This record gives sequence, C-alpha cells and structure tokens, in this order.
Amino acid sequence: MKNILDRNQNKANEVRSLLKSKKVVMVNLISSPGAGKTTLLERTLEEIGSKFRIGIIEGDITTDRDARRLQKFNVPIVVINTEGGCHLDSHSISKVLPSFNLDDLDVLFVENVGNLICPSQFDLGETFKLAVVSTTEGDDKPGKYPMLFREARAVLLNKTDIPYTNFKLESFKTDLRNINASVPLFEISCTKSDGLKGWFDWIEGQIFNE
Amino acid sequence: MHELKVAEDLSVIVLEAAKNGKLGKVSKVNILFGQLIQIVPDIFEFAFRECVRETVAENAEIDIEIIPVKMKCRGCGKDFRVMENRFVCEYCGSTDLEIISGKELFIKSIEGE
Ligand SMILES: Nc1nc2c(ncn2[C@@H]2O[C@H](COP(=O)(O)OP(=O)(O)O)[C@@H](O)[C@H]2O)c(=O)[nH]1
Ligand SMILES: [Mg+2]
Ligand SMILES: [Zn+2]
Repeated sequence: MKNILDRNQNKANEVRSLLKSKKVVMVNLISSPGAGKTTLLERTLEEIGSKFRIGIIEGDITTDRDARRLQKFNVPIVVINTEGGCHLDSHSISKVLPSFNLDDLDVLFVENVGNLICPSQFDLGETFKLAVVSTTEGDDKPGKYPMLFREARAVLLNKTDIPYTNFKLESFKTDLRNINASVPLFEISCTKSDGLKGWFDWIEGQIFNE
Repeated sequence: MHELKVAEDLSVIVLEAAKNGKLGKVSKVNILFGQLIQIVPDIFEFAFRECVRETVAENAEIDIEIIPVKMKCRGCGKDFRVMENRFVCEYCGSTDLEIISGKELFIKSIEGE
C-alpha cells in the first residue's frame, strides 16, 4: 500500500538527514492561533539567544508580523507565507533552508501556522515537535487532538497568569496523562515570565543532547 | 483543513497511476485512514472532487476505511485498542507503548478501465 503523503515524507526525511549532518536541531512549534508561540520565542531568545546560534522560520498565512516582532534579536529569520494554507510542509521548509548558513546554526525554531490538527500530520523533518496551549482555549485540547499530544516532546501550558478562565488544570492534566503519561509539561506565563526557568533548562538540555 | 492537502496529494497519485496504467476512467479509489489522522470523510471527498474535476477520475467513487488506534505494550507484549484516548495498557497498566495502527494515510487500490 502506498502512503498518500509519500512526497511530503520523502522530503521530510531529506531535510532531517541534512539537518542532522549539520548538527542543527529543528523544533516545530504547534499551537492554536494566539496561544503564545511568538511570545514564547521572544522570551526564549532573550534567555538563550547568547548561548546558541539560533535561526527562525515563521509560518504565516499572509503576513510577516511575527517575524517583525522577532527582528530585534538579530537572528536569521525567514517567513513562509502559506497563502491561506493551514500548515507548513516539508517542501516549503526545504526550499527556505538555503537561506540559512546551516554551519553557523545550533537550533532552528519553526513557528508553524496556528492550528492544532493539520500541522501534526505533516512531518517537516523536525527533530521534535512542541505543543503550546493556553488556558484561554479551554482544558479539552488533549482529548480533541490526541495525535499532537502523543507526538510532542514537551507540552507548554501558557497564560497561567489569567484569572477567571474556566480552565480546569486537573482535568487538563488527567486528559494529557491518559494520552501521554511521560511528556514534560511546563506551566508558564510568557507575559509575566512565570515558570520559564524549567522550560529554559529543558530546551537547553535538548539542544545540547541532540 | 489538512483534508485539502491530502486530497491534492492523493489526486496526483491517482492521476499518475491512471496514466501509467492507461486507464480511460478511474471508477473507484480505496483508501485507509487511521483514526488519529482525524480526516473528516465528507470534507475529504469534497476536496478530492475539486482536485479531479475534468479528469479521468472525476466520477471515481471514494471508499474510505477508518482504522482504529491500536498499541502494543512494551511491558507485557500484548496489544489493545485505544478507547477514549486512554493510552494505557489494559493488561498491565504500562504506558510504554508502541503504535500498531491509527496513523495510516494509505491508498489500498485504484480501480478503473
Ligand atoms: N495574559 C497573557 N497573554 C499572553 C501570554 N502569552 C502571550 N500572550 C498574548 O497573547 C496574544 C497572542 O500571542 P502570540 O505570541 O502572538 O501567539 P501566537 O499566535 O501563538 O504566536 C498576544 O497578545 C500576547 O501578548 C501570557 O502568558 N499571558
Ligand atoms: Mg505567532
Ligand atoms: Zn502491558
């Protein structure tokens, strides 16, 4: 039987082996729109930007707004406009890789298009995926999108600073643990900079170990 | 709407197969989707129709089989079907599991003449 997404998978395999040979870790950030991926990248660049050579790929449906927010960090950034498409694919990644000097990079963060379902089906050739969710989206995300929470190497729960949401942390955790018992969960606020220490230590460890 | 991209890739494969097999008409395409892929069959079929409009596959019937999520336990070696998103071995309680099925995006066969 033939895999329908063979074309995407073959290219993803190519990207993965190229990045491996260049010792570049590629992190695929997946979330709903507005969960806080760009803000997380801002906090992360502030903290680890001087320790690693970082590059960024911004997946955006039509604009380059997120890329402009990150320009102040003086790291190489490439925008991929998906022209309405709901996710990045390995061909679009492969096309922009020549814009980076891979010999001068340790890590490449990819901000995928805001969406929890489609991006998890399309392998980009990443080293690992991260799931970012926020307390304002409700606590039912793991159960609704099991594949992402099964495959993510870590889960970040953002916007823990917002009071009065109907987000039930215990129920979120129960669902998440049923789906993925061992995935690290970081409860953070990117605007208040709460809980980020654990995340920074973890991501630094991942970059070192790969 | 990953249905659209999957439908596009499928249509390319179907039309290529039709050309290589010298089919004048594709009558049926049989596919398998794993449950974890979360393809909505109606949306998928609609998207596929759009992709094959005015081609030899324009009237092809789409048969979609959804495959349940099954895991194999690395602890006790047994396999089980995942119900209600509980990825926990129903025999020994281990969460060290390997996926057996549920992520398929396969073409089983293409029929035509
Ligand atoms: N209250 C609160 N707002 C946040 C937090 N993180 C991000 N935001 C806000 O949420 C909005 C969307 O964030 P953004 O990083 O652009 O999300 P993205 O679409 O996932 O990249 C922005 O207005 C951020 O300022 C947080 O931890 N707490
Ligand atoms: Mg963003
Ligand atoms: Zn077991």
